[in-house]
Parts: sequence; C-alpha cells; structure tokens
Amino acid sequence: MSFSGKKGVDKAFAMLRTLPRVCLANVRRNPGTRIKPTRGRAQHGGDKHGAGNKGSGQRQNYMRLGYETGNNPFYLRFTYEPYYKGHHLRREYPPLSLLQLQKMIDTDRLDISQPLDLSVICNTGLYKIDPHHKHFGIQLTDEGANIFKAKVNIEVQWASEPVIAAIERNGGVITTAYFDVHSLWAIINPEGFFKKGEAIPRRMVPPQDAIEYYTNPVNRGYLADPEKISWERLVLAQKYGYQLPVLENDPDYAMLTQRKDPRQIFLGLEPGWVVNLRDRCILKPTDEQLKEFYRS
Amino acid sequence: MAVVNRIYLFSRISITPKILLDPINRVCGGRRFDSTSVSSDGEVSNSSLSTTPIIRRTLACPPEYKRVQQAWVENLNTVEEQKLGLIDLHPDVFGAQPRIDIIHENVEWQTKYRKVRYDHTKTRAEVRGGGRKPWPQKGTGKARHGSIRSPLWRGGGIAHGPRSPQTYFYMLPFYTRVHGLISCLSIKLAQDDLHVVNSLEIPTDDPKYIEDLVENRNWGPSVLLVDEIDIMPRNITAATDSILHINLMPVYGLNVFSMLKHDTLVLTMAAVNRIEEKLLYQLNRPDFMDVTKKFMLNQNG
Repeated sequence: MSFSGKKGVDKAFAMLRTLPRVCLANVRRNPGTRIKPTRGRAQHGGDKHGAGNKGSGQRQNYMRLGYETGNNPFYLRFTYEPYYKGHHLRREYPPLSLLQLQKMIDTDRLDISQPLDLSVICNTGLYKIDPHHKHFGIQLTDEGANIFKAKVNIEVQWASEPVIAAIERNGGVITTAYFDVHSLWAIINPEGFFKKGEAIPRRMVPPQDAIEYYTNPVNRGYLADPEKISWERLVLAQKYGYQLPVLENDPDYAMLTQRKDPRQIFLGLEPGWVVNLRDRCILKPTDEQLKEFYRS
Repeated sequence: MAVVNRIYLFSRISITPKILLDPINRVCGGRRFDSTSVSSDGEVSNSSLSTTPIIRRTLACPPEYKRVQQAWVENLNTVEEQKLGLIDLHPDVFGAQPRIDIIHENVEWQTKYRKVRYDHTKTRAEVRGGGRKPWPQKGTGKARHGSIRSPLWRGGGIAHGPRSPQTYFYMLPFYTRVHGLISCLSIKLAQDDLHVVNSLEIPTDDPKYIEDLVENRNWGPSVLLVDEIDIMPRNITAATDSILHINLMPVYGLNVFSMLKHDTLVLTMAAVNRIEEKLLYQLNRPDFMDVTKKFMLNQNG
C-alpha cells in the first residue's frame, strides 16, 4: 500500500488522495456515537416504564428526601455544624508557584522588562482569579524556588519568606499589595473595566486583619517603611546565605524600583481618570473637589 | 500587520520571538519543492515568466516541527492555467487532521440550527369544549371519561403533537466549529480541490468565459470562489451571476457546508492570508476559556 510507511496526518492525506471526493453524501459520525431516538414501547423500555408495581414507586407518591420512616432523621440530628461560619470574611489567595512563573517567563508569556502585577499575570490566560469565590489575589509559593532565575519587579498579594529570598537573590524586587474587591474587578480585567467607562477608583486600605501583614517590612508590604524594607533585604540575604545584589548598579534600576502609590490600581494611571479605548484618550477630572478627593 | 506582533503559542509547541526575528528566507525543514521554482506547461509562452514576478509567500509564524503545505498560485485572466508561483500554507490550517466526524457535526449543525417548525396542534385544554364530565362515573354501562376532548376521543386534543413555533437552535462548541473549518480546508487541499489564484479579475463578463475556464482546467462542475471582502470585481460578478453552481463568497461567509457542496474551492491570495490569520489566532489565543465558556452547557453558578 502506498501509505504503509506514513504516520498520522500524512497517512490520512495519502488515503484521501485515493478515496472519492469528500462531500455532503459521504460524511458521517464515528461508529457508535449516534444514539437512535427510540420511544419506550412494549418490551423496549415500555409496559410499566421502570416504575414497578403499585406502591409509591408506580404511583409517584414518594416520601420526602431524608425521611427515615419516623425516627429522628440524620439530617435533623445535628443542630450545629459551623464548618462555613465566617467563610464570607475569609480571604483566599490562589497559589502561583515560582516554577510556573519561571515557565511563563521562559515561554514569553510574560515580559520581564516591565513590572509584573496581577493584571499582567491574569492577561496571560494561564492564571485566573474569581472574586466571587473570595479570591483576593496571587499567593506566590516556593515550589521552584531553587531553580528560579529571573530578575523581576513583581507585585503579589501574599508571599512567604523563601519566595521573597528567591526573588531578591536574582536581583529582583517583590512587593505585597492589597486590592479591595472593587479594585480587584478592575485589575483582573483592565480592558473590561475601561469599557465600562467608569472612573478609576481609589484603592482602599486593607481591613483590620490584613493591615499588620501589609505594614510589615518582613513581608515587603506596600505600606511598610522603605528604609526598613532595605534593612530586611539585608537580613534575609544573610539568613539565606546569598550576596544581596546592589540594585543601584543595575541597568534596570528605574524599572525595578517602580512602585504603585497605595491608592493606585494601574501603573501610569491615577484614580479619577477615565480611559476611553474607542477614541484612544484619557479623560481627567477638572473640578477641584473631585481632584482633591481622588488625590486623598 | 497586527499578526506579526502576536506571539502564537500552540499548547505542544513553544515559539520564542527569536524565530520571529529570523531573516525571512530561513529554510523550513522537510520541504520537497524549492519554493522559488516555477514549472510551467510547454504551451505557455516564456514571455509570461520573464515579465511577471514569481509570487512567493512567507509564513508569519512558521511551524517548528511540522511540514508546510504548498499550493500553486494560478491566474484567472486566461482560460488556460498559468502558474504564477508556489506558496507556503500553514499546516495548522491547511494540513490539519481530517476529522470526518467533526465535519459531519458541522454539517448537521448548519442544517438544523436555523430550522423552525410551524406546524401546530391543540392539546386537550385548547380544543373547544370538553369541560364537563360527559356521563356519570358509574351506572351507565359505558367506559369512564372526564372530558370529550381527551386524546382518546375522536376530535379530542393531541397529547404529544407539534407545538408551533418549534426551534431546533443549538450552538456547536466553538472549537468544534474551528476544527471543522481546518479539517475541510485540509481535505480540499489533499484531494486537489483547492486552488489559489492571485485575484478574481477576468477580462470579460461573459458567463461562457468562466464555463470554458472551469471545463479547461478540469475543475469540478461546482466552484466556490472566495475573496477577502464582499465587494468583488464587476466582471466576475456579472459572469457568475447567471451560473447557479459557480458562486462568490467573502471570507466571513466561509463554512463547512458550502465547502462540501461545491466540488472545487478557489481562494484568492488575500483570502488565504485572511483565513490563515483568523484561524491561527483562534487556535492559539490565550483567553480561549472565555470564548468557550459561552457555549458550555449545565453551568451552575
């Protein structure tokens, strides 16, 4: 046969060259996929139609679900099951490992010549956040910390000590920042937010139970004192035993030290601005009261 | 154009921008023909070769591990075929696995989704009358009945009859439709039913010219000519207007049913570029989940 040595698509095309032209009359489903629509009649699913004889089964007069013919049923025995109590107040941070981050950078899904934040990572399509499920941002995990090689300026929402060490060891900068729900909807889908035509909101301060985390320089919080952060960078380098690269000597110093204002959602855009994608322009408020409000 | 700036990433193949920046005349592996050669029939005069430039085409994102497909570029301005060049076609669009079952699903969908049935019958509630119990339950020797319009009765309502308007609309999953298109294009190319022409310009608006052309080149009786936009040259529009089996179509109208209905598919160079650009984008877009979400069934919350 002329297509005996061929494999895959080549074999298929070689076969097609000898077969009649594919047309409307000779296309069909794969064998076994067509379920013939049959009605239940007589011996073919008919007669009593699977309902049995007499009783609640045939008469469709069932007991309610969970009823145990009089005794205290299982679903009523336990009056207090506080498994989800306060679940609406708990924040979740879906994990993103350093391994995944490195892979995204290596396969050019992410451009490390610009700062990375939640919007950039969501735009790759490989990582998703759903605020409906109480997701509040990226949690960078330490899987792949030993092989992480990229020098990045990254802003996440939660990071542990080994992760911070892995990033700073390569000369990068990591910041942990909080986004409230309204800002979160804006940042995870910037194009969708701009299309709404709403003014960019101010980012709100973290709630009581998160303030301590984001003001702590150990976590590189965005509300922490930058001088204390520099001190903690040194401390961490000594703890993990690597030479802390000097950022000032880095050619990408300007990009690496780029940081958002605590009230800013998008880099380069201020609260109060309206981005017009159709006419490709930005509308800024002119009223002094509005400007003062958005600057506060 | 915008295509070059996109980074196409197939799930199994990773392409770095270094490949995009390589010089245009890099050699693709496994090619059987040299794309610069143009072989012509003995009858064709050599003067046409010396004056017209050879048409070439380089793929914006050439595949790393797949063999490119190739097709001759022909002309339409003479009845006899003249080959104007040999172009490369992307294997993901023109060399995809020919899935007959997916093509069948597409054809089935295209025929069914816009079907509306208008026949209508009345149920026992809608038939006039039948509110009263015709005779007492017991005592008369007759069978027990509650209404003269029950389905058992002559003139009664129909139990499971057609209800107008009955629609059979459903959407085939997005990527089933994409794969239907690429399977069909690949099959047309493999079975020598795909021809690429430089443009749809013809010298006369006489239908006989087109008929002679199709006859001379052994193209199937029915031909589908596809151009990029829906405004076609005047001559071809006038010539094919009276011929019902030779049809013009813009790229946005390309569909599996039409490609199978017509024996021969003729694409212009512009149409090939547009089709490849659009289909490659859909095959490699990063936000495919957002696109497919719309067509998923049983979405809870």
